[in-house]
Amino acid sequence: MAGRGSVFWGRTEELRKTVIAGIIGFAVGAVIIFLYGYSPVTAFGALFSGAFGDLYSISESLANAVPLILTALTFAIGFRGGMFNIGAEGQLYLGALAAVTVTLFRLPSAVSFALSLIFAALAGAIWSLPVALLKATRGVHEVISTIMLNWISHFLSFYLIAKILVDPLRGEKTVSIAEGSRFALLVPGTSLSYSLIISIVLAIVIFILLWRTVIGFDIRAMGHNELAATYAGIVKWKIILFVFISGGVTAGIAGAVHVMGRPPTYAVYSGMPAINGLGFEGLAVAMIGRNHPIGIIFAALFFGGLLAGGRTMQIFAQVPLEMVRVVEGIVVLFLAIPELMRLFPFLNKLKTSNLFKARASE
Amino acid sequence: MKSNSKLLIAVFTAAILVVSFVAMPWMTQAGMGKVAVVLDVGGRGDLSFNDMGFKGTDEAAADFGLQMVEIQSASASDYLPNVRTAARSGQFDLIIAVGFLLTDAVATVAKEFPKQKFMIIDMVVDLPNVMSIVFNENEGSALVGALAAMVAAHYGYPNVGAVLGIEIPVLYHFEAGFRFGIDWGNKRYKEIMGRDADVGLLYTYTGTFSDIAKGKAATEAMLAQGAGLVYNVAGPLGIGDLQAIAEHLNRKGKKAGPPFMIGVDANQDWMGDGHRVLASMLKRVDNGCYNAVKAVVDGNFKGGIVVMGLKTKGVAMSKAGDLDTFMEFGIGAGEITGKDKSTIKKNWTEMRSDIPRSIWNALDDLERAIVSGRIIVPTANTLEEMQAVRARYPLTK
Amino acid sequence: MNIDFFWGIFIGSLHAMVPITITGTGETIGESAGLFNIGLEGILLLSAMTGALGAEAGGALVGLIVGAATGFTIGLIFGLICTYFRGVQLIGGVGINLFSAGMVAFWLIHLGVPGHHAVAEESRMVDISTPYGSLSPLIFVAIALPIIVYFILFRTRLGLKIRAVGENPQAADVAGIKVNLTRLFSTAVGASLTGLAGAYISVDWIGSVTKEISAGRGFIALATVVFSGLNPLLVLLGGFIFGFFDNLAVWIATMPAVQKVVPWQFVAMAPYVVTLLIVAGVIGRVRFPAAMGIPYERE
Repeated sequence: MAGRGSVFWGRTEELRKTVIAGIIGFAVGAVIIFLYGYSPVTAFGALFSGAFGDLYSISESLANAVPLILTALTFAIGFRGGMFNIGAEGQLYLGALAAVTVTLFRLPSAVSFALSLIFAALAGAIWSLPVALLKATRGVHEVISTIMLNWISHFLSFYLIAKILVDPLRGEKTVSIAEGSRFALLVPGTSLSYSLIISIVLAIVIFILLWRTVIGFDIRAMGHNELAATYAGIVKWKIILFVFISGGVTAGIAGAVHVMGRPPTYAVYSGMPAINGLGFEGLAVAMIGRNHPIGIIFAALFFGGLLAGGRTMQIFAQVPLEMVRVVEGIVVLFLAIPELMRLFPFLNKLKTSNLFKARASE
Repeated sequence: MKSNSKLLIAVFTAAILVVSFVAMPWMTQAGMGKVAVVLDVGGRGDLSFNDMGFKGTDEAAADFGLQMVEIQSASASDYLPNVRTAARSGQFDLIIAVGFLLTDAVATVAKEFPKQKFMIIDMVVDLPNVMSIVFNENEGSALVGALAAMVAAHYGYPNVGAVLGIEIPVLYHFEAGFRFGIDWGNKRYKEIMGRDADVGLLYTYTGTFSDIAKGKAATEAMLAQGAGLVYNVAGPLGIGDLQAIAEHLNRKGKKAGPPFMIGVDANQDWMGDGHRVLASMLKRVDNGCYNAVKAVVDGNFKGGIVVMGLKTKGVAMSKAGDLDTFMEFGIGAGEITGKDKSTIKKNWTEMRSDIPRSIWNALDDLERAIVSGRIIVPTANTLEEMQAVRARYPLTK
Repeated sequence: MNIDFFWGIFIGSLHAMVPITITGTGETIGESAGLFNIGLEGILLLSAMTGALGAEAGGALVGLIVGAATGFTIGLIFGLICTYFRGVQLIGGVGINLFSAGMVAFWLIHLGVPGHHAVAEESRMVDISTPYGSLSPLIFVAIALPIIVYFILFRTRLGLKIRAVGENPQAADVAGIKVNLTRLFSTAVGASLTGLAGAYISVDWIGSVTKEISAGRGFIALATVVFSGLNPLLVLLGGFIFGFFDNLAVWIATMPAVQKVVPWQFVAMAPYVVTLLIVAGVIGRVRFPAAMGIPYERE
């Protein structure tokens, strides 16, 4: 179908397929909501207005998206390199705690701010090193090492939060990040802070890294065809190291921007209830965003919106939070199918040109 | 194909936008009186803390003709937006925050919306529009600690156990009180019976409020080390604790304890057929919530601290009277049926009467002493304080 | 501390091993055919719930069967999405996890007190009592299954088909093997084992369903499968090692002697550190079927 705008149209094919899949997923979700006795109109009305209805809602959706973009990048970089890096969870805990540790030193605000981010990135990178080294030297598959290290980080964090970084006045959390070293709120009266900028900037950086640099090319080549890449002279262990370390950096920063940017506590609670799961949600975001930084931004926004909308669904449509999970799950399941349109041949029969023709003849 | 997807997307986007903007104003209309209950990530189904909060508010809503809206939190990041969104709508007469994790959220939002009334449990937020309800779990734990020590000595067990969840200050209240109670029980047993008690304490923080298998494994370990009673301080893990006890009893061909479990927050005595949970440390979160709603309805809601301790019936050791109420709780959970009630009651009464009268009298003494202020039960809010209490009452063998 | 103590730990470990080993064995079948199912956690959760319901309707055995059937159904859906619909396996798996988490939590609301559902005693599995502890019959199943599956995968034509389809689907297709059908079948059967494991948790081991009853075991099983290099016998070993250290960690954390020396958080880390060391030191390189993760398309 040649014609005006067809080149642009072709480029966005992936995006369109994803959107269509999402639409179908929502439709099925609506049916399930209906079957359980809730009104899909009220429920989805609340969902969408809670996600995008006003500035407050949009801010909340964006705030949710901020850490998801970063953990998704961790996974995506690995995926592009042909590796399965699910270590973001463990790395982000330590990134958050590293940022808190810097606060303990009571440095001048600007210094503290910068150092928190740097140390968080370092913490994430260091935690990903064992994965990279084990893979490069002993060939240990990253699925095992990341899952194990995630759990080790989980308990190590418990220890650090309870014994070393604990707030002397409130034992259930760490000390809070000093006021001067926090991200200011982008929209007052919401949860959205300037940390959004960090996420977007990093997404752009990773894009440039993967598609406009030599090392990025090497990574993608290794991901496409390891044998050919090696033959072409790309050194595997260097790629492994680079992929995991950069993944660790984004994950560590994900932890840091959460603890430095998300009101009201600016600390980590025992049990990490605020950052728990961000790593695995990042995986979903990455896959839905087709492991491309731009797609990831949109997918993160989608997920963030679902979470924000789930809240209003509960409050104003009295639909339980669990239903949101169910809808999320169904939408994601459908998003797994790239060629969804092929399955619905009847949709092809709906030719827009006919619709317009009918109009014209009236 | 391309034109179809174009159309579909356009229609869908339009639909979303229309619905979103149209629905917005509808979200802020007033309706009948509403009360919001915001739960933390633990959520419902713990048969203790959160369920009690829900129960109390639910009853109050029913009694006073209000609509209760439950708001669950998927992650701790949701606390602030949950409370804030509820407050912004202006539809809620009262917003109840169940749990200290919601402290910062309530503190922030209460300042933003000074006309909105809030209530928070387990923490103090010092603002005029916030009622802070705190419980003296240490007092209740002291009672069950004394019971545990004396009963263990009576049946000849060298230890008692405590299975705790995540190491947080609220749990320190439980641990500190329990230790004090055991120590008191040991001394008192010697006085009454003339024999040395010297019951020790085995304790562990499992690090979870949800992995029931850990509760079971920890209890098994404690039973193997001679624990006669195990105090559940980890919400739903009590299910696992009880499982371990049941299997242990099964092996010995017994149906009734000892060893026993000690329940927490809600009256869990009915669990285990009425003869495996000797007592429960009641934390009347339900009463706290009920009273808060009532205060709003009656018009005498005041910000400030409300202390619910032994004296004010905020905490208590389970007695016969509570059993009936909480059996209804159990029936609601589908765990027992109506016809089990009389069996449970019979078993429970037997279980309790097997314990010498002198022990129950001693506990009454302790209760009176705490209520009158003659005995102050230690508590702990930080690791340092907890370690000090641990040093004072080491209870190791 | 006497001999009872050690028996207690050992038997506890056997129980903890069951879900991991059975799930891992199932996933081995699926991965051998080329489908990587990250949705194991979700399947465990969902079948724990359905298994509990089935047990209450018709007894423990029915519960186990219902759980396995649930697993089979989910596996079928996942398989269809990833074979005939050419779906992306990772996304499908994530979708399953999300859906199951929501569905189970949602059902729990409708069945008594939200968030928790206990399985009545009559519906529970009857364990074999020994003087040292009760053993579930499923422990023996968990030991036998990997051996049986090993035999099937490596010593039968069926196993050869399955592995061929995972390794080189084009060649298998040329040889006349129905690639997508074999993959579908493998993943569905594998998932039914996971379903069985889920039902075991609610009907036998813990006797209750909460919205987090799977507690990360699906992912541990995944790690065990990788650890095993798709050799079911090693899945058995890995499952036991993990179950043993996991259980041991909880037990020794209760001992005052240990508490004086090591903070409980480090004891809790032990199973994961040990597994990592074993993998690093002993196992090393692991090979996956060459065509795993890629939908098969006839060219």
